[in-house]
Amino acid sequence: MQSLYEIETTVLRSSRTQGLSWGVSEEVGKAIRVLEQSNLAGLESFKRIIDLGFDNLNKLLEVNQINTNNLCPIHFGLFFLDQSHKKKFHQTFHFENLVEPLISLPFLIKAAKKNLIYFHLDSKELVLNISPGSLFSVDKNQIPQVISKFSLKLTTQREMQFSPKTWDDLYKLSLETFVDESEEKRISGAGAGLTDND
Amino acid sequence: MKVDLRKPEFVMKLDRLGSFHQSKLSFLRSFIREFKDWDFQTKEFNLDNEGYGHAIYTVQNRHKQYSLICFSNYLDESDRSDRVIATKWDASFVLFDGAPSKKDIERLQSNVPLQEQGRVSQKELCLSRANKSVRIFEHVVKHLSEGKQPDTKLLYDVGYLYRTTAVYGSGKFGLADRIKIQNRDEIKGPFRLEMMLVYLARQFTFDIVNHVAHHRCPEKAITLHDDIARNLGIGNSTGLGMAPFIVNHPALLNQWIVAKESALKAIRSIALINEIEKKSFQNYLTFIQENIKYWKTDSEYQIKKNKQLLKDLENFQKYFNNLSLGEYFWNSVYQWVEKNTQAECCEFIVSLMMEVYPEIVEPLSYEMSINEEEYFDIDTSRPIYEISQLIENQYTWLLNINFDKKDNIFNFWYYSKNKQEPRLSDRFSEEGADLELPLAIARDIQNLYQELKLMDLKDDLGSYLLKSQRYRHILRRVLICEKLPYSEIQDNTISKSVIPVDMLRLKLSFFGATRFDPRSDRWVRITMYQGAPLMREIHQSNDSWSYKKIA
Repeated sequence: MQSLYEIETTVLRSSRTQGLSWGVSEEVGKAIRVLEQSNLAGLESFKRIIDLGFDNLNKLLEVNQINTNNLCPIHFGLFFLDQSHKKKFHQTFHFENLVEPLISLPFLIKAAKKNLIYFHLDSKELVLNISPGSLFSVDKNQIPQVISKFSLKLTTQREMQFSPKTWDDLYKLSLETFVDESEEKRISGAGAGLTDND
Repeated sequence: MKVDLRKPEFVMKLDRLGSFHQSKLSFLRSFIREFKDWDFQTKEFNLDNEGYGHAIYTVQNRHKQYSLICFSNYLDESDRSDRVIATKWDASFVLFDGAPSKKDIERLQSNVPLQEQGRVSQKELCLSRANKSVRIFEHVVKHLSEGKQPDTKLLYDVGYLYRTTAVYGSGKFGLADRIKIQNRDEIKGPFRLEMMLVYLARQFTFDIVNHVAHHRCPEKAITLHDDIARNLGIGNSTGLGMAPFIVNHPALLNQWIVAKESALKAIRSIALINEIEKKSFQNYLTFIQENIKYWKTDSEYQIKKNKQLLKDLENFQKYFNNLSLGEYFWNSVYQWVEKNTQAECCEFIVSLMMEVYPEIVEPLSYEMSINEEEYFDIDTSRPIYEISQLIENQYTWLLNINFDKKDNIFNFWYYSKNKQEPRLSDRFSEEGADLELPLAIARDIQNLYQELKLMDLKDDLGSYLLKSQRYRHILRRVLICEKLPYSEIQDNTISKSVIPVDMLRLKLSFFGATRFDPRSDRWVRITMYQGAPLMREIHQSNDSWSYKKIA
């Protein structure tokens, strides 16, 4: 089996032969390495892009660009990695289709962590939530080679993932670690002076 | 008194970096310090009478085991080459993680001797090969088989029985990725496992001469005397493959240099020292001056440097003899050396000063690794004017280089298809410049600076990257250098006057190599572990072996 080092350097050099800059090629090498390390078929996905040819893919250069057909997953990912710190991008965008969306994921995950943002990708083929948290799991069998008519929502707002009742129950339980306070303890227990403002 | 670190613009010039010497921080010395309490054993020694077959050495403690598997093969004279471009070798080595099974050994036997053309697995950690110094090997075997010790003058002129030509690790050719081992306590210093491989391979070179001599004449043969063996190292021929490493790993380079500079700063900051400390320094100086006479080279460049070193040391000795113990003694010594000697001598004295203070220097050897991934990402929210200023402040030295001048862009670095190794060529007369590696750092930083100047300086880097991704890799370096100021060599690595051997010397000095013998401006022979304890006495090592008198 090839080592992760071999995968990274081979992808880096292959990217370079396709006209990508050294810096972008380095990013692609790392992205594919991360995917393979996570047991996701990044190398196969990358190979399909090479076979398709970068000339047949569109770079995402601005979110309002007219042609968002056949978006390149590398430049799609890089766009949000480099730009998502800007507030003007914290909204929902709509795109026509993205080729090999798997390859964009490492870029979006990095962007989420770096800028503390949430990505919600919604298409009929694939729905994904990417957060700044450490846990991220994706079913490799569910990642299509293309997603169409999809939206990408960027937000800094974390969404509530539990019911108010769950919270109330747990909060009540947590109070059981507290000690009931007498009046005397209330006055002296805080450790500060006897008046709040001394 | 406040002593500052030496400034990057002073230290990071190639002629100074190319004058570095081995020190307490060198990796082969920190390897011995780290592993001296482990158990070293010869596990198998299955060589035929001619010395062909395999041997296994193990290094273990209660929790962990490493095994070096050595393969010794017949090599026709016509196939023997010192260069890394060779395809067959006298011996090949692989460091195995744990204890290899019979099946592992069979698998490795058909792959390890092939080196770059073979495949190894995640169970293996490092890979290497070596050739005999034919003259020395035969001389030693002949003498031992006749019951005589070899001629030490001849031996020490060369310094080793075998020369390695490459040591591979970190995922190359299917080896285990660095990630597999990076959290092991015993591997906290850089290149620890590579140093283990070379140390055990050196032991193999002694064992094989004893073995072959014995089988040549079992009645008369004796074994190589320990004192002679101890004064032999293992050779190494290193070409340009090593040079780009220090450019491609800026964060790691910073750690190495910072460790050295921090040690020097701490020593120069000692207010008062005693006579014993001064004497200790003098002892090291005396021994090493004796050993310098064994540094043989045909290289005019190195001969000149060595001569100047000896001359400078002579002057230094006169100065040092008359120096009385005053406040900030070492600071005075350093200042004198910097002012009155060339870089070769200055850095030599710096290494010697470190010998006197293990308590200051040795802990720094644990700070010489770094997680490079943490420095990979670019903060695209930074305003462009900040980065322009950063370049103006950090890279002043390159802003006035005229890259339209042929001599300043004379060379280009490329990757050899045959050997998967970096090489250097003349851009104007040789093919391949269109596949240039991104090692023209000075030129590209200047280009990045000019592109940034054309942008609205209040915009952020994200806006620049939307316009151009061409210098993304360079932007990454500039940001690394902001945090790690010793990460960048401050010279033009593609100029006509670049001496690549200086880049090799820098890396090899941190490895702990001695006896630099450049064979051209592009490859060098060195010796490693000369004077080091033998395998069975490693636990007695007190780390002073680099300064034991040879002979």
